[in-house]
Amino acid sequence: MSKPVVDAVVGAVATDWRGAVHAACAPLVTAGAVEARYPDRCIGIAEEHGPYMVLAPGIALAHARPEDGAVRLCLSAAVLSRPVEFGHDQNDPVDLVLAFGSPDDASHLELLQSLAEHLVDGIADELRLAPNRAAAVQVLQRVR
Amino acid sequence: MSPAPNRPLTVLTVCGVGMGSSLILKMNAEKALKSLGVDASVEHTDVSSARGMKADVAIAQGLHTDELGSVAPVVLSISNFMDVDGLRRQLDEALRAQGWLE
Repeated sequence: MSKPVVDAVVGAVATDWRGAVHAACAPLVTAGAVEARYPDRCIGIAEEHGPYMVLAPGIALAHARPEDGAVRLCLSAAVLSRPVEFGHDQNDPVDLVLAFGSPDDASHLELLQSLAEHLVDGIADELRLAPNRAAAVQVLQRVR
Repeated sequence: MSPAPNRPLTVLTVCGVGMGSSLILKMNAEKALKSLGVDASVEHTDVSSARGMKADVAIAQGLHTDELGSVAPVVLSISNFMDVDGLRRQLDEALRAQGWLE
């Protein structure tokens, strides 16, 4: 399997949850790993179904479906300079927004399994403490 | 109380998209069920597809659980996806209440 596109944004500025989703997806859009419409689909799904992407206190995982414009397997993280409310009754506010895209229904299985394990092991705090983008990318690259 | 099903327990984990959080829930549920010693088959799906499915247990975020009453007799609501121990406790309690776990 090809290696995922991995990138990060440290100190991202967002005034609301939609901006936070765009911030997390931005490096993936720039890299061509997802199409420009992908972050809007992530937002559209949340508008329709509620804050599905908020997984744990302070942590969101933005994603949509392959047909929503995911081109390559990819993963990014945005550490927000100021946390935002997603409208989740228990896990707000969110200061770490992860985003992933998968070109099909199977490519992401190993990546997400690894991500889930790393999240349980505390990778969120490592990302929050990363001094810069390169350090955050290095942390995120352990997720394979 | 109903007797334990004479087959692996069927568990459905559900999220809005069917790719991300439901998959993480599936992995956590498999871990939790294994540690409880429960033979189970866990599948993950999106909330629209879930409406047409049946399972013994459905697990989802609170924002979806209202929609899953017809899918499974036991519906568990999860707010912290990193809390495998919490999910284990919820499963333990629910399976005991059903008489599926002694």
